[in-house]
Amino acid sequence: MNAINLKINKEHYDVLVKPHWSLAYVIREKVGLTGTKTGCEMGTCGSCTLLLDGKPVFSCLRMAIDAQGCDIRTIEGVEEENNGELHPLQEAFVQDHGMQCGFCTPGMIIAAKHLLEHNPDPTEQEVREAIGGHLCRCGTYIRIVRSILNAAAVMRAGS
Amino acid sequence: MEYYSPTDLNEAYALLDKYGEDAIPIAGSTFYMGHREELFDEVEAVINIKQLGLSYIRQDGDGLHIGATTTLNEIFAHGLTRKGPFGILATTVQELNINEVRNMATIGGEVCIAGEVDMPTTLLAYDADIVIGGSKGVRRMSMADFHIGYLNNALEPGEMVLEVQLPQPPANTGGGFAKFERTAADLPIVNVATRISLDDAGVCTDARVVAGAATLSGIPERSGAAEAALLNQVIDAALIEAAAAASADVACINDFRVSAEIRSLWVKCGIEDALKRAFAAARQGEQS
Ligand SMILES: Cc1cc2nc3c(=O)[nH]c(=O)nc-3n(C[C@H](O)[C@H](O)[C@H](O)COP(=O)(O)OP(=O)(O)OC[C@H]3O[C@@H](n4cnc5c(N)ncnc54)[C@H](O)[C@@H]3O)c2cc1C
Ligand code: FES
Ligand code: FES
Repeated sequence: MNAINLKINKEHYDVLVKPHWSLAYVIREKVGLTGTKTGCEMGTCGSCTLLLDGKPVFSCLRMAIDAQGCDIRTIEGVEEENNGELHPLQEAFVQDHGMQCGFCTPGMIIAAKHLLEHNPDPTEQEVREAIGGHLCRCGTYIRIVRSILNAAAVMRAGS
Repeated sequence: MEYYSPTDLNEAYALLDKYGEDAIPIAGSTFYMGHREELFDEVEAVINIKQLGLSYIRQDGDGLHIGATTTLNEIFAHGLTRKGPFGILATTVQELNINEVRNMATIGGEVCIAGEVDMPTTLLAYDADIVIGGSKGVRRMSMADFHIGYLNNALEPGEMVLEVQLPQPPANTGGGFAKFERTAADLPIVNVATRISLDDAGVCTDARVVAGAATLSGIPERSGAAEAALLNQVIDAALIEAAAAASADVACINDFRVSAEIRSLWVKCGIEDALKRAFAAARQGEQS
């Protein structure tokens, strides 16, 4: 076992890991932050997406031991960053029914948040590309895309 | 299993020598982690090579140099690989429509996988060299020689890829890339890359036509017949069609994903599409 420290949503966590343990597994099972989901654990569904040093990555494909020293942001941090209020994206997913079971939602929100931070006025095509690696097994895509576009409009109006 | 994250090359080479075939260098980890259950029992040491200063893109008199741990999204965003003579690199990345994988996967990881990946196909069309390092020194090898067979590359134990080099193509050169896959998360079923150089009279002075992912050999292959059809000719739509039809000399694999017949058809269609793009780009002196 290797002792490592992970910085997640600005908090530091000491954990013992094996080198092949994924960041997704450690965050869920050892740190206890279960907002990040695991579906396929091989890079094909997007449910484990989080921000690593500001970039969306699949945490099932990252060794936890290789995330030391990185700034990790999960879905739990999105609300905290927004002063404890729902983020406009979360608000839009609620308003526009951008989810059915909600399993894909954390990954979708993280990917969309990154998109809107870099491109506040995306086209529908750009939204689709940003979630290109994300599966929604309930097939809610149309409403997910609509939620993201509506959140973008709200965020533009608010800034 | 031991984990190491060396910060200089000699330290990395010493670890690779110490563990030999029981060590695995890891860059973006997107392939390794997807196969960890098969791999982790067989491996004694995981060597993270991301702290070795091998993330860079630069150009000099020899052409373009891309460090092994440069990510696909870094290639997608960089001025030298996004447009101009090497713009085909960004086009190739764009066809892998998973932003999260592109943020992690590296060009070194791509070239080491002799299988269903896209970059080796493009690199073969651009006569790229692979720079290989180890404690015994540095050697270079053409992309054409680097892949030996399916999931088998020419690295010896103790060696790793340091850099990918692309020679500067002549003026009036254009490139084109095309690909077939089922979904964004699927690996390519067929990918093709082409490169055409024209002289001032519009005659084709050099051509590369490459098919990957679909081949019986499991590695990217040039279509000699398609290239011969183009060389020393004035290119037009009919010639592009004839060259694409000639690509039937590339033997395709028949497997559970797609039959060989369909693959051959897709190779032909992809090459026609990629040649049209290469031709248009060559006339503008830009690649697409
Ligand atoms: C869902 C999904 C879909 C994908 N679709 C595509 C696609 O359509 N097209 C495409 O081109 N790619 C695709 N990829 C990416 C591709 O399959 C590989 O995962 C990627 O190229 C590996 O790069 P990496 O840096 O993550 O390699 P790693 O996983 O770090 O390593 C891969 C292998 O290469 C070795 N290696 C890595 N770097 C070096 C080096 N410098 N020297 C020596 N050995 C090294 C490792 O030991 C390992 O054996 C996809 C990946 C996923 C997860
Ligand atoms: S669990 Fe990571 S992509 Fe599916
Ligand atoms: S809402 Fe159920 S997986 Fe997307």
